Amino acid sequence: MTSFFDVLIGGVFHASVLFLVAAGLQLVFGVQRIVNLACGSFYALGAYFGISAVGWATAGGLPTWTFLPVLIVSGLVLGVVGLPIERLLRTVYKRDEAFQLLLTFALVLMFQDVLRFFWGANPKQLGNLSMSYGKVALGDVSLPTYNVLVMLASVAIAVSLGWFLQRTRHGRILRATAENREMAAALGADVRRIYASVFTLGTVLGTVGGALVVPTAAASLDMPVELVVEAFAVVVIGGLGSMRGALVGALVVGLTRAAAISFYAELEVLAIYLIVIVVLVARPAGLFGKPVE
Amino acid sequence: MNVQRRKILRGLGAGAALAAGPYLGAPALAQNRPLKIGIIAPKAGIAGTIGECGLRGTLFAVDRINAGGGIAGRKIELVVEEETNPKDSIERLRKLVLQDKVDCVQGIVSSGVSLAMGAVAEEMKALTIFWDGTTQDGVNETMPNPRYVFRSTDNECEAVMASLLAIKHWKGKFATVAGINPDYSYGRNNFAAFQALLKKFGVEHKVVADQWPKVGTLDLTSHVAALKAAKPDLVFSSLLFADLPVFMKTAYGAGLMDGKTKFVFPAAGFQHTLLKKEFTPEGMIFGHNTLYFDIENPTPLQKAFVQEYEAKYKDYPHWEADRAYFAMQIYKAGVEAAYKAKNAWPAQDDVISAMEGLKIESLGGPGSMRKDHIAEQTFYQGLTTHKNRFDFATISDVTRMYSDQLQKPQGTDFWKWIETANIKL
Repeated sequence: MTSFFDVLIGGVFHASVLFLVAAGLQLVFGVQRIVNLACGSFYALGAYFGISAVGWATAGGLPTWTFLPVLIVSGLVLGVVGLPIERLLRTVYKRDEAFQLLLTFALVLMFQDVLRFFWGANPKQLGNLSMSYGKVALGDVSLPTYNVLVMLASVAIAVSLGWFLQRTRHGRILRATAENREMAAALGADVRRIYASVFTLGTVLGTVGGALVVPTAAASLDMPVELVVEAFAVVVIGGLGSMRGALVGALVVGLTRAAAISFYAELEVLAIYLIVIVVLVARPAGLFGKPVE
Repeated sequence: MNVQRRKILRGLGAGAALAAGPYLGAPALAQNRPLKIGIIAPKAGIAGTIGECGLRGTLFAVDRINAGGGIAGRKIELVVEEETNPKDSIERLRKLVLQDKVDCVQGIVSSGVSLAMGAVAEEMKALTIFWDGTTQDGVNETMPNPRYVFRSTDNECEAVMASLLAIKHWKGKFATVAGINPDYSYGRNNFAAFQALLKKFGVEHKVVADQWPKVGTLDLTSHVAALKAAKPDLVFSSLLFADLPVFMKTAYGAGLMDGKTKFVFPAAGFQHTLLKKEFTPEGMIFGHNTLYFDIENPTPLQKAFVQEYEAKYKDYPHWEADRAYFAMQIYKAGVEAAYKAKNAWPAQDDVISAMEGLKIESLGGPGSMRKDHIAEQTFYQGLTTHKNRFDFATISDVTRMYSDQLQKPQGTDFWKWIETANIKL
């Protein structure tokens, strides 16, 4: 039973990380109909900037326990990079999807050099900070308190996003714009502003996610591409543009990976993409996506 | 002012002439230009810090050699290129040889690159000395009789030594083992070597889990959960890049290190300063390969290097610095031995012949070059301790072994050698 919980927690933790990347991807696609490959770059940017922010905070004499709020604030602040990028993307909103993909892929490559320029080419880590919050033990199951906080943060972000999209006026306008951009504009919605705010929110999800997760892992130049590849498995399974799909897809990928690693480690990737293929064949729009008419 | 400058220049000239005294008979042309040495080392990605440390070892060697008058009277000039994938790295080798016309190429950390580059260097007749790469396909030597390529010790040396220490310290204290090793030939061979040595020394054991994360995997939560679920008595891990500190943190946080599980990390030295005391318990076997920076009673050379490294880079070196230093010094010794024998500037073939069988003192201790162009060096491993002035774990109870006890002799099959060799614990 203990082993089961260990594997389960491992899967849920990975799902939390994936959700933070996939949520931004889903939000932007859901409203703006752009497949933003650069979402992994925002995640990496958040991770690198978070390491620097904690370094500055520590040098400034802030106590160790403040590193979590410092990371969250650094991720939120960094969300502003979404605004100029959204301005750039406006040039391709009405272009073919291939142009959009090429442009966001160009951003991925450019961000890689930006990261290299500011933080160097070597992976960066936050030492032992994630240990400073101690460990949580439930019987034989033990895990760092910080990992629990990351999982809770993902749940909180999922709930907040759901509430925002379903229960607030701005959320309803967003959904209306996602359904029919022209009609929303005709009814007085400022589509330009909505797009800018949605893209910035998508960016913030990535930067905060990266900043939150980096104490448990490391920041490296390869992480944007690796994460985007896994995030795509999430959105294919969950359904492109669906926030609920992002949550379920992340859980499916995270738990499948954890189970595969436990039972037959060689099948880690195969198991995930087998599900992707089954979903693509049986339900091309994904579990929660809307079929294209 | 001009007169003063001329005096200084004359003085410098006289100093250089004295330093180069034994080599004044060399042809004027050869002495007039510096020796060009091409370095190919990783600067980015998971091996970036490793390449950086190696380059620092090279710079230390070059500074000392140039200050002492150079190699056979010729100063060294470095041309540094980046090691990336095999294809691009080979292009850089071609550029160094054909365009920069270097006298020798050194570097390479990845065996994947050196395996491909070895054949090209042979074809180009380019004297090449690898820091850390082998020319093995798995554990099989692909270039049994190279002429121009010299390579480092076998990658399996550290696994053999760590396995011997594990058996020495813990034989009879473990029955189940688990592995978490990088998913390429290095990780697979190391874990297989560990099991082969357990068998050789009659250690009954059962493998209850084997994890093969891809190199660069930085979320190891599920791998650690799988290891914990298997409840092994001993975990063997040859993780060696940025994934090693992540594994250590994750395993510690998940409680994998709370019990009596024993840990063997043959290549931990690559990440030593990142393995903080808070999540790196005492009593694990750590391999520092061919340089342990904090050894008791270091040689004056190692002491000077570690002190300079700490002062200059605010860091502590690992074995790649030693590999790079060894490559430079064995080349220097080869050129000078050939020069002495010929009493004239030697041709490349003379240098190569002179290097075979040469012994030198490297940063980590004695080293030599076998006749089959494979290096022999001194290896260091021990048990982790927190009793030090650093915030990371170092090793106590340090064992030192020369690699002739750890690597297969010329022309031997690795697995047969393990079975038949007279290996002592």
